Amino acid sequence: MKNKVLIGICIAIFLIGVIGSALVLFAPHGTKVNIVQDGAVLYTFDLSVTEDQTLEIEYNGRTNIVQIENGKIRVVEADCPDKTCIRMGWLETGSLPIVCLPNHLSIEFADEREDLDAVIK
Amino acid sequence: MKRGILTVILFCFIVSCAACADDNGNTLDEATSEFFAMNTYISVTVYGKDADNTVKSARDRITELERLWSVTDENSEIYAVNHSDGKMITVSEDTAELIAFALRMAERTNGALEPTIYPVLRAWGFTTGENRVPQESEIKELLNMVGYDKVRQNGNEIQILNNMMLDLGAVGKGYAGDEIAELLKENGITSALIDLGGNIQLLGTKPDGSNWRIGLKDPEGAGNVGILSVSDCAIVTSGNYERYFTASDGTVYGHIIDPVTGYPVNNDLLSVTVIAKEGKICDALSTSLFVMGVQKAEAHWRQYQDFDMILITKSGEIHITEGIKDNFSLDVNHGNMKVGVIEV
Ligand SMILES: [Zn+2]
Repeated sequence: MKNKVLIGICIAIFLIGVIGSALVLFAPHGTKVNIVQDGAVLYTFDLSVTEDQTLEIEYNGRTNIVQIENGKIRVVEADCPDKTCIRMGWLETGSLPIVCLPNHLSIEFADEREDLDAVIK
Repeated sequence: MKRGILTVILFCFIVSCAACADDNGNTLDEATSEFFAMNTYISVTVYGKDADNTVKSARDRITELERLWSVTDENSEIYAVNHSDGKMITVSEDTAELIAFALRMAERTNGALEPTIYPVLRAWGFTTGENRVPQESEIKELLNMVGYDKVRQNGNEIQILNNMMLDLGAVGKGYAGDEIAELLKENGITSALIDLGGNIQLLGTKPDGSNWRIGLKDPEGAGNVGILSVSDCAIVTSGNYERYFTASDGTVYGHIIDPVTGYPVNNDLLSVTVIAKEGKICDALSTSLFVMGVQKAEAHWRQYQDFDMILITKSGEIHITEGIKDNFSLDVNHGNMKVGVIEV
């Protein structure tokens, strides 16, 4: 009896984990990407129309080199100590941005609903 | 027993997830009021305790100010001043304050803001919608009745020359926005968006603490040129794209008149957006900087630096002051526009 309950709970937790990861990995996103430094949007690209290019982004004398290729975006070079941003590879999901903590940089899919609060006319 | 504990743990786990999803849904009320006043469509959205009543008093206040300042309403104070035959008229505190502000800004901008331009504006038909191109001699004659320096103000007493007309349209909405923001604050509201026909006044941040996202309309085409991410400020845009007419010879005339020539402004600018703490400053400056053109507008910013601005030029450039550049992001479909930063 006790074992059955424990197994049941284990299965439940496992399922929650699987569903959770699926939600994170396949979070819907559009093609607009923001490159953000210290909360300010430096660049916005629509990956579906942006030509292949590399960008150099500086922070306090340190740089990240961002590459856009075939409608995908990643960090290819960085002089941060941990290189996590490079290891994250291409930006793939809407819920997991590429982040370079030491250089205060993040690359993320923009909210596709342009949800503006108002328009100045 | 153990089973009971495990169930409780699992239950807590699920509940805590539901709670965090609902983290922002705190107990703030939201209330919106939309109405027509001051010749424009107004919307006030308020977040806070007793939002419903507060939004109602905001609306009452705007209606009250409109009654004082309408140029055409025979019961307004401005109407009384404009039909005084040169006699002294006593006005309310609100009106006196607004006139004093308009005269101060006229002086600061060397007359680029001209609160007595109304007779010329009327001759072009912009006050009635029946547009026409006046004769040059007519404009010259009308310009004789124009001049903020001819307005006499002593506290609540106002005197203008016979045939002169005062029009506070270029500052009234901004002043009203400031008044509403103040009224909301006094009622304990910490988050509000006031939209006076495209003049935006923001109180605090959004209820979740993030900046408001405000689109900047493309003066020439559809969509937005970019997005401003800001809080606790006012934003006003002026440009001749807002209201204009095309004459029989094909010339396009806009509704902002250059007080020196008496003709609609025709310079290197498409629009001027001013961002500042006070709506009345934004209102007054957006009009007068548009009259000035790119060079003088940038010089004015360097001299005062008590505001930020975004200039959109006819050549497709965006000039943005350094104080606001980090809050602006260019729209993806406007990537061909060149963005330049105006520095001190
Ligand atoms: Zn890094």
